[in-house]
Amino acid sequence: MELFSDQFNGYLWQMAQGAYVTLQLFAAGFSLALVIGVLVGIITLSKNIVIQAFWKVYSSIIMGVPSLLIIFLLYYGGSAMLSGIFGTDRSFDVTPFGAGVAALTIVYACYIAELVHGAVMNLPKGQFEACSALAIRPIAAWRHVILPQLTRLALPGLINIWMIVLKDTPLVSLAGLNDLVANAKIAAGATKEPFIFFIAASLFFIAFSALTLRLSARLETRFNRGIAEVKA
Amino acid sequence: MSALQTSDLTAVAAPRPVAVQMTKVDKYYGKFKALSGIDLTVRKGEKIVICGPSGSGKSTLIRTINRLEPHDGGTIVVNGITLDGSPTSVQDVRLECGMVFQQFNLFPHLTILENCMLAPRLTRKLSKEQAEAVATKYLERVHIGAQAHKFPSQLSGGQQQRVAIARALCMEPPIMLFDEPTSALDPEMIKEVLQVMEDLAEDGMTMICVTHEMGFARRVANRVVFMDQGEIVEEAGTDAFFETPKSDRLKNFLAQILH
Amino acid sequence: MSALPIDLALAWDSIPQMAEGLMTTVFLTVLVLTIGLPLSILVTLARMSKSPLLAVPAALFVVFFRGAPLLILLYLVYYGFGQIEALREGPLWVIFGSAFACAVIGLTLNHVAFMVDVVRGSLSAVPAGLIEASSALGLTPRETFTYIRLPLAMRYGLAAYQNEVVMFAKGTAVVSVITVVDLTAVANELFEETYDPFTPILTAAAFYWCFVNLIRLGFNALERHLNRHNVREATVKEPAPGAALPIDGAAPAAPVPPLRRMANFGRRTAPVKAPAPALSTATPKEHAV
Ligand SMILES: Nc1ncnc2c1ncn2[C@@H]1O[C@H](COP(=O)(O)OP(=O)(O)OP(=O)(O)O)[C@@H](O)[C@H]1O
Ligand SMILES: [Mg+2]
Repeated sequence: MELFSDQFNGYLWQMAQGAYVTLQLFAAGFSLALVIGVLVGIITLSKNIVIQAFWKVYSSIIMGVPSLLIIFLLYYGGSAMLSGIFGTDRSFDVTPFGAGVAALTIVYACYIAELVHGAVMNLPKGQFEACSALAIRPIAAWRHVILPQLTRLALPGLINIWMIVLKDTPLVSLAGLNDLVANAKIAAGATKEPFIFFIAASLFFIAFSALTLRLSARLETRFNRGIAEVKA
Repeated sequence: MSALQTSDLTAVAAPRPVAVQMTKVDKYYGKFKALSGIDLTVRKGEKIVICGPSGSGKSTLIRTINRLEPHDGGTIVVNGITLDGSPTSVQDVRLECGMVFQQFNLFPHLTILENCMLAPRLTRKLSKEQAEAVATKYLERVHIGAQAHKFPSQLSGGQQQRVAIARALCMEPPIMLFDEPTSALDPEMIKEVLQVMEDLAEDGMTMICVTHEMGFARRVANRVVFMDQGEIVEEAGTDAFFETPKSDRLKNFLAQILH
Repeated sequence: MSALPIDLALAWDSIPQMAEGLMTTVFLTVLVLTIGLPLSILVTLARMSKSPLLAVPAALFVVFFRGAPLLILLYLVYYGFGQIEALREGPLWVIFGSAFACAVIGLTLNHVAFMVDVVRGSLSAVPAGLIEASSALGLTPRETFTYIRLPLAMRYGLAAYQNEVVMFAKGTAVVSVITVVDLTAVANELFEETYDPFTPILTAAAFYWCFVNLIRLGFNALERHLNRHNVREATVKEPAPGAALPIDGAAPAAPVPPLRRMANFGRRTAPVKAPAPALSTATPKEHAV
């Protein structure tokens, strides 16, 4: 087919709309996962045996299963689960987008929680003790001493997860979401030009990753103030 | 009150008010008894040095005083506050005691000045200007004012430890606890830290120091406490402690440490 | 509030089919890992080469096949090959025409791209002193590489490799979209036959879980084996380059607790380190493409 013909431009436009859906899915999934993951990560610091045991089993299951299966489970089984929880008298519509956001959140909140948990465990105990000895109350200690250091410790891992989530979003197209990859597939099939459209879609992901990496490198230098000098 | 001004006093004679009173204190880590039947009285203005072999419970003892470790039996009273585990008593006691750690434990993401300003702002509710004034004052006092805007990692160990002392002093606590403040330092840095501590002692601060620096103990301490296996084995005025040790355990210990 | 309606009878009956799907998944995983390892070493060497003729293409390879989502890569291979006339007419179409081969190719490209960082990180984790020592003993650069650097790197890189393998094994679930009948495909087929949204998927999930944890156990055993002569050394081993900055600069004495393995599970750049690094140092820059 001819490049930049009307038909071609039409497909590009559809892909752009798909890209917008992809970004929405990514933004919603990642931010929910981040908020929930940080909270859960802090909760799992509890020494309570029940919490520990539950977390061990739960995280092992979630992290031992492909995210694609969890997307399918929530998409196919989501409405049954919701009526199970909220009563069978109402019926629930589960959209691919909703199932995708839920699945990404469930899966990656788990990874983020593990990351946060690990980062806290890696903080020297002395940081907590110094706060106690200075009579800084726990909430203030977390806010001013622990969390700022966690941000620095967990940032590389977080960026990692960011990339993984981004590259997992296309899986939701298999549950019927009309995202970038779904539209690329339509375009490729209709025009018999798989290379153009799939490579274009790939470049979108690569460019988006590169952009965020650039930003994150800046963030990292910011957060590394105080330890950066030693490295140099 | 004039008696209080005399600098040359031994513990027995001092009629000063009690700063820290430990009575029959026990402490367990699980089944392991880390402290057993600790009785210790520290009066205001006294300097106490605690020594003893590794694992004898020195850190544990000093950490029960500001309840970094809760104790399991007996009573601890700090400046009239009984440590009964209630959050207010813990908070109050921690405001009475400054603590200096072996590992400094400075906050790596904050500058030296910010390290010193944080606690006064949060717990003493000082304004930024007030906190900065206090911090600057104490940083000057440990001779580190010029480095105020550096980060901890840019300082030497000795400098970091002096900052840690200043940070504790910024809370203006009446009692200072030191847990082996010079053990993580290279030999040439030990002196500068000990000097700061001696200056502090001269100003009349109540100090409880876990340290192996016996020269410092002789110069500064009013009393020395020897611990072994979770017990206070011997406790005596500084001169008596070094000249006429009574127990064999202490004699052995001194023989080793003074080579 | 009802429990998840799991049809135990259906789950039981589906076991043979599921097991078959699992075999496909396992076979695919093992095959790609086997092809991928030597390839990754080659691409890494090209990537680290001083010659831009090798380094630049290798870098581009990594950027593309690592940055593109696996699903797109599979589409690209599966639909793309069909469009290449010469290939379709040629004798090799027996291979390139099969969905399984396309899956192997797509997965390998992706896996190798990720492995380049794993291998590179492991190689650079080998202390320079050891390499100097072996050249000082008269070993040629090639001998040094084969006998000293590579074996040590394998040890350092094992944790990162494990993460990659686990993530990869789970990632194979997508191959069902190009008609390879793997475990996920079996679950989907059963779902379409029974319209039971829970049982087939959860059964497949259980199979995946076992597979993933077998991989973990295998790696743990391997790690113990590799470290058998190394138990004490592990606690004092010099850190990887730039590693183990204690948080407050209290260099020798600051306690640096060992890294929890899961703390940086990342497929996608688990840091490669000598034993027991601190998380604070787990900042591999490799992910900066
Ligand atoms: N958190 C803990 N859990 C279990 N046991 C502990 C804990 N902290 C200390 N111990 C044990 O309690 C005993 C006393 O420890 P402590 O740290 O008070 O000794 P120390 O006199 O300060 O020794 P050092 O000179 O080595 O600092 C030791 O045997 C130690 O192993
Ligand atoms: Mg100690």
